[in-house]
Amino acid sequence: MSGSDVATTVFLTQLQLVTFLVFAPFLAATIRITKARLQSRRGPGVLQPYRDLAKWWGKLPVESNASGPVARYAPAFMLGAIVTAALLVPGAAARAPLAGWGDLLVVVGLFATARFAIALAALDSGSAFGGMGSSRDVAISALAEPGLVLALAGVAVAAGSTDLGTISAFGIIHGVGLLGPAHLLAAAAFGIVIIAETGHYPVDNPETHLELTMVHEGMLLEASGRSLATLVFASELKLVVLAALFSAAFFPFGAATEMAPGPIALGLVVGLGKMLVIGQGLALIDATIAKARIMAMPDFLGLASLLALTGLGIRVLMP
Amino acid sequence: MIVTPGGAVGADLLPILWVAAIGIFLAAAVTAVVPRLSQASPALSTAAALLSLGLGCGLLLTGASISWSGWHALGFATIAVHYDGLSGAFLIAFGFSAAAASLSVVGEQPRSRAEGAAFPLFLGSILLVLGASNAFAFLLAWESMALLSAFLVVGLRATRDVVSAGNLYLAMTHVATASILIGFALLAAGSGGSIDFSAWHLAAPALSPVTRDLVLVLVTIGFATKAGAMPFHSWLPRAHPVAPSHISAVMSGAMIKTGIYGLIRLAIDIVGGSPDWLALLILAIGAVSAVMGVLYAVMQHDIKRLLAFHSIENIGIILIGVGSALLLNAKGATELAALALTAAIFHSINHAVFKSLLFLGAGAVIHATGLHDLNHLGGLGRKMPVTMLAFGIGAVAISGLPPFNGFASEWLTFQGLFGAAGSGVLAPISRFGAAAAIGALALTAALAVACFVKATGVTFLGLPRTAAAAAAHETTMPARVAMAVLAAACLVLGLAAGPVAAALTTVARSTLHLGATAGGAAGGAAVGSVASVTATPQAGTAATYAALVVGLLLAVAIGVIVVAAAARSRAAARRVDTWTCGIAPKPAFQYTATSYSKPIRLFFRRILVPEREVRVEYHPGTAFPSSIRYRSEITLLLEDRILRPAHRLGISGADVARKLQGGAIQLYVAYIVIAVLALLIWAR
Repeated sequence: MSGSDVATTVFLTQLQLVTFLVFAPFLAATIRITKARLQSRRGPGVLQPYRDLAKWWGKLPVESNASGPVARYAPAFMLGAIVTAALLVPGAAARAPLAGWGDLLVVVGLFATARFAIALAALDSGSAFGGMGSSRDVAISALAEPGLVLALAGVAVAAGSTDLGTISAFGIIHGVGLLGPAHLLAAAAFGIVIIAETGHYPVDNPETHLELTMVHEGMLLEASGRSLATLVFASELKLVVLAALFSAAFFPFGAATEMAPGPIALGLVVGLGKMLVIGQGLALIDATIAKARIMAMPDFLGLASLLALTGLGIRVLMP
Repeated sequence: MIVTPGGAVGADLLPILWVAAIGIFLAAAVTAVVPRLSQASPALSTAAALLSLGLGCGLLLTGASISWSGWHALGFATIAVHYDGLSGAFLIAFGFSAAAASLSVVGEQPRSRAEGAAFPLFLGSILLVLGASNAFAFLLAWESMALLSAFLVVGLRATRDVVSAGNLYLAMTHVATASILIGFALLAAGSGGSIDFSAWHLAAPALSPVTRDLVLVLVTIGFATKAGAMPFHSWLPRAHPVAPSHISAVMSGAMIKTGIYGLIRLAIDIVGGSPDWLALLILAIGAVSAVMGVLYAVMQHDIKRLLAFHSIENIGIILIGVGSALLLNAKGATELAALALTAAIFHSINHAVFKSLLFLGAGAVIHATGLHDLNHLGGLGRKMPVTMLAFGIGAVAISGLPPFNGFASEWLTFQGLFGAAGSGVLAPISRFGAAAAIGALALTAALAVACFVKATGVTFLGLPRTAAAAAAHETTMPARVAMAVLAAACLVLGLAAGPVAAALTTVARSTLHLGATAGGAAGGAAVGSVASVTATPQAGTAATYAALVVGLLLAVAIGVIVVAAAARSRAAARRVDTWTCGIAPKPAFQYTATSYSKPIRLFFRRILVPEREVRVEYHPGTAFPSSIRYRSEITLLLEDRILRPAHRLGISGADVARKLQGGAIQLYVAYIVIAVLALLIWAR
């Protein structure tokens, strides 16, 4: 690695770390605001997620008598895994800040690490709600995972590598010529996976505390104070990373291909803009369709896997 | 004893390691039956297993191979061994598993003296299987391994269930041996009667395609049965749980890997590849074993049965690697084939490490509570922190999470599949097969997370569900050390994925009979450096997994968050009861293993076909239940649809054979007359 490479890596890492971490609560806020407006409510202000996080972070946690080190340290493992994943996904440029140190499979693996941590922590307090949320979350993720990997496999096979920077650069070079059926099917599959992985309608209701329906919230029920702040922030950041992954893999247009301040600044603005669009899409879905029964998940998420497999099939059979 | 090539640094020591390992295993067997020395037997086995581990590492690092043949006195055959890199890789898997398992029982009394002696002999027979270089030596070691393991499963004072599990195992392992034996006979016939593997390899190109395919099918059936791949798996989830835990650890960690070793040795090294349809079939067997194995594992609530089904899953993942290697090799994509084969060998070693760890953890739980039903456990983490940590690390590793070892080998397996799916030389059906296998592998990995969150959480977290679970205690010091070493190995093999993959790529390349240096231009093989492993699925493009860096990043990120949280306030957290809607928390409120797996049971109901029976009895004349019985079972489709019909066919075939064997002397004389007449007519 030459001197300028090191400088680029350091610069992109700092940039991505700061923008993603600061942007994550904002993205969550925009989703909530749009959803509220669509439901004829005023909704909270843009700063509300930041205020919530600051409030929880300042509070001493209340721990269950039944729980131990797993519940105490799992939030750090979850956030740590997602922060690490955040640095392996291209943001402003058509290369990940830590390019060459991990590919899309590492990002998927780090998401699984985060899921393992939170699902395990939910069992530590001996609460029925924790078990309920945890068991549903791992089951839904199991259905979503083939769609996620197969969708990414489509673009990886096209680009000839699982390296996300290579995939982004490939997408930029080929431009709209890329937008064939294989690509669009995979993108649609990935969209469904984002919904499932971030707990939006029709898979999960991010605002419910009704035991019959909660998935993600069930796992947070016994968390409080700093632990809650860490877990909620990790979930917000996860959406940002998934959205960045989506853009990098399927719509990398706008990302900087040369490492100069101008293109990187532009790439950053375009990248964040794409995330906002994805967020608005989620808000629109949240506000307009009903939550599905958990029993409908195999159909909904199986659809994602089938779309992705069809896309990949087209790709490998008609290269 | 011959060492080739001579002169490599340290290579001269390898024969000494081998002889010492064999000798010490025999000594361990002898001491086990001598009353005053029997305590020393497990320690000797540990030492011999460590020597085997050293031998494996030595073979890999020096690139040397050792061979020996002897025992000509037997008259009709000789014992010949030849340990090369491939043997070395599997010796590492064996060494980890056997050393930890032996160490864990230091100071323990075996169920009987005979079993104490059979254990080191069983380990020694695996050591021989991995180096046997002619059919006689291989079958001798193979059969000893089968019989000794069957004896170790059943033991001397067995209940009916255990005997029936043992009988099933014995029957299936002999079907496997018979199938391998016929395959060997065909190979021997094709090479002018030689029983040497090297002669078979030389004669293989001259075999007729039909004979070659028949040989491959037979050895695939035989070795897949030993490996526990579906649909030849039904012995595995029955035999593993009933054996003592350290024996399950070796059976699952090392013994079933001899099936993988045999398949790679025969199909790739000796015969030199397979037709596309068989490679696709092996890929399909792998994918089905992986998905169905993990699905059934999620449904289990017996901790050892759960782990046994996970062995099927991991064998499936390994076979996906072997299958894609065969597919790619047949079409000349040799570098990619080496990548896929590297993945398979790496995963074999990794599975040996984490599965032995998990079985020893299960053994510690059973030791501490006398229970193996997850639904009766809970909260053991407070009493058994070392076991919880070690089991947790094993769970993370088997779930394929970075930066542990399971992820590294699954990453390589994925890369092999990506390469196959995008490869221009493969037939369309093969490319699509690889694409579908990507989905199967992803599903498997996600279900493994579900399963091990369940197994770890329900066992070690929450409140104890029974008095026995509440009274748990930490396991013995040797067992804790054994688990700690394996847990450390999970992390080290994960972080050192680069150098390990590089060493194993050399092995894979020589098994595929490729030149010593990577072609590069064609793209493909795994290239390891100190900190990372790089795969090149297509020419000119590469993907890298820098295990060490990812591990460090993760550690730094987690550390910063923990420190930041601790710095925010030093006061201890307030502790209260878990919120249970206003009533005092009870252990029964918790999700059990069965309830935890319910969403998956329902999502995959078309495959699992769950049956549920709820029977409520009421106090006469009231609406108050006096007893509620709940029964929930899943249907093992493959067993019902394939194995049971095959079993019935076998039984009716045996009935026909019994009529031929009437027992009357006249009948046999008649057979002889008919045979002689037939021979005379045929030879005329």
